[in-house]
Amino acid sequence: MKKSSWWNTFTDEISLAWTVAAKDMRVYYLTPPMLMFGLMLPFFLFFSFSLKRDIGAEVGMARLLALTTFFTASSAGPVIIPLERRARTYDRLLAAPMSLATLLIGKTLVGAFFGLGVSLVPLVVGLVVLDVSVANPGQLLAALVFSSLAFAAFGLIFASIPTQSVGNIMMPSTLIRWPLLFVSGIFVPLDEMAAWARSLAYLSPLTYAQDLFNHGILGEGSLNPWLDLGLLPLLVVLFLLPAAWLHQRSRVLGY
Amino acid sequence: MKQIAIAVENLTKWYGRPGQGVLAVDHIEFEVYQGEIFGFLGPNGAGKSTTQRMLTTLLEPTEGRITVGGCDLTHDARAVKKQLGLVPEESNIYTELTAWQNLIFAARLYLVPRPEQVARAEELLRLFGLWEKRHVKADNFSKGMRRRLSIAMGIIHRPTLLFLDEPTTGLDAQSVHTIRNLVRQMNAEGTTIFLTTHHIEEANQLCDRVAIINHGRIAAIDTPERLKEAFRQVQSVEVAFEPDQLLATGTLEQLPHVTEVVKAGDKWRLYTTDPSALLPAIVQHAEQSNMRIVNLATLQPSLEDVFLQITGQPLGHEDTGRGDSARRGPAEEVAS
Repeated sequence: MKKSSWWNTFTDEISLAWTVAAKDMRVYYLTPPMLMFGLMLPFFLFFSFSLKRDIGAEVGMARLLALTTFFTASSAGPVIIPLERRARTYDRLLAAPMSLATLLIGKTLVGAFFGLGVSLVPLVVGLVVLDVSVANPGQLLAALVFSSLAFAAFGLIFASIPTQSVGNIMMPSTLIRWPLLFVSGIFVPLDEMAAWARSLAYLSPLTYAQDLFNHGILGEGSLNPWLDLGLLPLLVVLFLLPAAWLHQRSRVLGY
Repeated sequence: MKQIAIAVENLTKWYGRPGQGVLAVDHIEFEVYQGEIFGFLGPNGAGKSTTQRMLTTLLEPTEGRITVGGCDLTHDARAVKKQLGLVPEESNIYTELTAWQNLIFAARLYLVPRPEQVARAEELLRLFGLWEKRHVKADNFSKGMRRRLSIAMGIIHRPTLLFLDEPTTGLDAQSVHTIRNLVRQMNAEGTTIFLTTHHIEEANQLCDRVAIINHGRIAAIDTPERLKEAFRQVQSVEVAFEPDQLLATGTLEQLPHVTEVVKAGDKWRLYTTDPSALLPAIVQHAEQSNMRIVNLATLQPSLEDVFLQITGQPLGHEDTGRGDSARRGPAEEVAS
């Protein structure tokens, strides 16, 4: 009886997380802030730093996918949650019979699917138009899925800032996310970095995503792919824990 | 013995550090009985919304205990939330979705079984006159339609305890009538209703008991009639003259036993401790001033009078329906 009760609660929470995610996909994916911060920004950044540089299509593809999952997935929470706070629809979710963890898992799924969906565009273009070859499809798929999940959870940390304004979240979020671009092996490969810069790179979640994309597309990376494969799922949990704590703290303040 | 739907003990909320921040709710205690309509009144900033947000799990109390249906809100939030329906003052619907999609989402959020979702959504859309617009995005809805949809979303899971925050504010008479009837019907079917409102007349008409909160503390709690009885000294006489030559209230204030004079449209309301002594003085005053009395009535204290006496301040933004809420004494209308 007890197990059955536990199982029912578990399945209810999974169902609720999916309900939240499905609703957000329908409501927010095509809103201007999502398109601006999640869709245009990574492509703009990629072309700013890659045009007229002599990089191969495969290298460019690995970079673009890392950039896209990073910016796209991590934008969903910081855009959607303040918009929902402002419309008071967030209260509807908080008052529903689910835990805060379930709500945040739902929001993580929204970001992850957004990251995955947007990444498919350059991936298909690369495979079909540019004839990019993929060295290890399994690792590429793992990179897409785990990076999207990890970065979506990463974005939820910023979304905990108690505000109803997207801008108030995007400012600190940009302050943290942009410097990570330069110490994560995207524009300067890890092997070419100075020792101090490489020490910083190991602290960046983007490093492991970029490395796994390199393994998947180029067939080689700077780190052991198993390290990337182990760390990225772990990062999902490591980001969700402080996010849950910070969101709980925001609730004490009335957000 | 009445069963308790909500028990609030020592409930306190500080915004900021306790002792240093702002004390929004100050150690309040009250009970709401099962099956009653409980009104929660207070001026702006008194702590109404903060209290309601704590009762509906949206805000964590600094101190105190809330029990809903016997379940502790802190330790058994999921079980409590399943029983609750919440309709906030602002219609929190998804304007990007249609009325139908909004209702189905709300049903899923409360784990309403799939076959029942459709039947219940149809029932509520028809009840609220939104069936024809079910496939229209809520963005195109009027304020009244949004409000009705918001209420439908709040009750789709048949809550046993419904929180309504200013449910009729800013709505047309027809919508107000529909919503008040629905509240009465749900209550008759056993739903306990916690009604937060600025509209005193609404509380007077709907509520079994009301609590008045002021400066974060419960200032009074009782049935509307008993509250009015307790403030019997707040009686008044309403009079209309023709021609009305009283350009200033000073003339009427000089009459015996008058404590305050308020102009109410084309009438004057004279607050008094002794209406029977005041009536002959008014008639005499009219004769001396060559005015005809076209209307004269004694009024019992209204719930709003009680509210004003307790809080010492006018209500917020709402038209409080002062004239409507005042109760006329039987057979005391006089027209000369």
